[in-house]
Amino acid sequence: MKRHIIAATAAAFLMGVALPASAESVLTVGMAAADIGQLDPHRATTTQDKPVVSWMFNGLVRFKPGSSSLEELEPDLAESWDKSADGLTWTFKLRKGVKFHGDWGEMTADDVVYSLKRAADSKTSSFASDYAAVAAIEAVDPSTVKIVLKQPIPALLGIVANYHGGNIVSKKAAEAIGPDFKTKPVGTGPFALVEYKSNESLTFVANKAYFRGAPKIDKIVYRFIPADASRDLAFTSGELDVVYGRQDQRWVERFKKEPNVVVEVVQPSELSLFHLNRAMKPLDDLRVRQAIAYAVDSKQMVAFKGAATALPPVSVIPTGYLGTDEKAKLYPFDPAKAKALLAEAGYPNGVAIKVLQTSLPTMLNSMQILQAQLKTVGIDLQMEVVDHQSWHAQIRKDLSGANYYSAARFPVADVYLKQFFHSSATVLKPTAVTNFSHCDVADKEIDEASVAVDPVKQKELWYIAQKKIIEDVCAVPLFEQLQVWARHTNVDYGYQFKGAIHLGPVITEATTKK
Amino acid sequence: MLRFVIKRLILAIPTLWAVLTTVFVLVRVVPGDPTIAILGDQASEGARAELRDKLGLSKPILAQYVDFMSQILTGDLGRSLSTNRPIADDVLAVLPYTIELTLAALVVGTVLGVPLGVLAAKNRNGFADWFARIFSLAGVSFPAFVSGILLLLVFAVELRWFPVISSANAADPVERLRALVLPALNLGLLMVAYVTRVTRSGMLKALSEDYVRTARAKGLPYRTVVWRHAFRNVLVPIVTVVGLYLGVLIGNAVLTEIVFNRPGIGKLIVTALNQRDYSLLQGLMVVSAFAIVLANILTDLTYGLVDPRVKTQ
Repeated sequence: MKRHIIAATAAAFLMGVALPASAESVLTVGMAAADIGQLDPHRATTTQDKPVVSWMFNGLVRFKPGSSSLEELEPDLAESWDKSADGLTWTFKLRKGVKFHGDWGEMTADDVVYSLKRAADSKTSSFASDYAAVAAIEAVDPSTVKIVLKQPIPALLGIVANYHGGNIVSKKAAEAIGPDFKTKPVGTGPFALVEYKSNESLTFVANKAYFRGAPKIDKIVYRFIPADASRDLAFTSGELDVVYGRQDQRWVERFKKEPNVVVEVVQPSELSLFHLNRAMKPLDDLRVRQAIAYAVDSKQMVAFKGAATALPPVSVIPTGYLGTDEKAKLYPFDPAKAKALLAEAGYPNGVAIKVLQTSLPTMLNSMQILQAQLKTVGIDLQMEVVDHQSWHAQIRKDLSGANYYSAARFPVADVYLKQFFHSSATVLKPTAVTNFSHCDVADKEIDEASVAVDPVKQKELWYIAQKKIIEDVCAVPLFEQLQVWARHTNVDYGYQFKGAIHLGPVITEATTKK
Repeated sequence: MLRFVIKRLILAIPTLWAVLTTVFVLVRVVPGDPTIAILGDQASEGARAELRDKLGLSKPILAQYVDFMSQILTGDLGRSLSTNRPIADDVLAVLPYTIELTLAALVVGTVLGVPLGVLAAKNRNGFADWFARIFSLAGVSFPAFVSGILLLLVFAVELRWFPVISSANAADPVERLRALVLPALNLGLLMVAYVTRVTRSGMLKALSEDYVRTARAKGLPYRTVVWRHAFRNVLVPIVTVVGLYLGVLIGNAVLTEIVFNRPGIGKLIVTALNQRDYSLLQGLMVVSAFAIVLANILTDLTYGLVDPRVKTQ
């Protein structure tokens, strides 16, 4: 008898029969990271940060959920706006009665002014340079905000959208909470953060007072699961409703076959560029750089990465960004020409290039293909493989002969061009960002385009800039990769998930889980 | 005994100091920049320099060292560079998970390992012995992330007996215990292997001793001879292995923690390293070093319990 009781208890314990039935609608999202980076929207830049920021915050305007296109911006905290004829003064009429999370009160023009000024200050924001052209931000009355520019900028609505610096924070909360705001953010979005367990999870609850209506999901648990295999298993077992997918053909194919699973491959794409250090031998010679451009076979790269998630590059800016121009022709694959150019440059027997490389597996294996491709024309890519953080630090000290870097940015040509190809962004300078090639051939066009009033003229300038950068081979585009997410069919985002400017699905008031 | 413990704790001070100094130097020698994790890759070099000033990272190394040591002496572990949270809070949040996993693995290791080792020695070259030898070889050579995935596939995905994500329902004690089973088995497997080996070889030696033959000759049952006479003499090496392992376990648990998605000290160390969060890393090292010292003291005290000869010395 006693034995039976023990067996029964053990069985109950193992089967977990006592799982409480709950009417609460909880959405569990699995992310490929060990922990959050930053939750302060003006500091959040990593893949794991951006989706959650989009659940908690609003901008004056917003990217339509499921879209990553600047052409599909719609009103968010602002109900309407207009601009002066010269495009320098913008006036936004705010929605009334919008409440911040918790007891932080109603959102007013003061909060908007405070937030945008905070976003423009490099002491409190990682996106200060986006606001360099802003002369003044002021509250006209509690529901009107005026922004005055020193000069026109390519996409003003972009910098007041629910992305990066455009996210509106509560002034009172940010001032009261101080440096801890990064773990205790306060916004106006459909979900509010209630718990942060480091290395484990974030928990959000529905903001019942959300201005678009109370969310249908009651709670979101955002779990950090860095091990790919464990994350996939947790999704298979149903412990995760939504999962960050792998940018990998086999992964996409495998999960597409699973019943009750929807795999979504979405924009924006990340462009992998091979930046050639023009300040270092032997790549200071244009012919050697051209030889590399001719030796790269991006079709083979795409085939290796898999057509389900990879695309051939079209320019030195990713596909689909405002201003990306396919007319700026890339070098064709022509190994014979590459060899001839190398011989002409004085390297008939080949040449060696020393590069620093991150040990991150997905980046390392792309580099190994490049290494094999370059080998066939006699270019010996000598990789010094270091861990990811060391690599990040060392490439910013100009220590690599060439540098493989993959990135998605705000979808305007201006941002990509300024960060990667403008001389002011060159590594080692105080204004340095990620210009690893010491590129300076298109400064004039990049600068002029960023203040051009006429959009046609602006696109023309961006085209010339891309053409010059490609001709000078500051960087060789290798391939593009799209974002991959998967969900169980019982989850409905409430919109068509085609683009993820926030690198993940936006969970809105309309999102449901059956 | 109290004097013994105090003496050992005082002796631990130079060890802790050496560990901390080594860690302090190492994290600064390794290339890396905490501002990349904090500011992201779109911030300008100027903004990075500003942040480095603010975090005190642009001070001379020696000044940073003095700051760090004086802070530790006041018992303050400081704040994380990247989250700005008190390190003590972060450590205390994960410590219960680490302790519970370590102890559970220890229990698995001894409860399975000791009987298996004794059985193997009793039936030398028999079936049990072969089984124990193969099992312990597999246990030592199987990487924790492979065995972990296998356990998850079979018991969590196919049979659905246990959850994949260990920390999901930590508030409910029954659920928490259920979630502990697979990780404890996984981590314990390695320990079963070691304990089996040590027990087996110790028992083999003990069973061939004269006093065992004497005990057998005077007509004691075999069972009594094995457990009361031979086994008690094997306890010291077993305790040594268990004790050694206890210290190492904290660091070794990292793979198990990652695969089963459990919070823990090991996992926190990896995160801190990846973000070059120097202050968090240093704080974690203080805690780990202290834990190892403590485990060693406990082991030494246990010798006195299992072997009266040690106590009288």
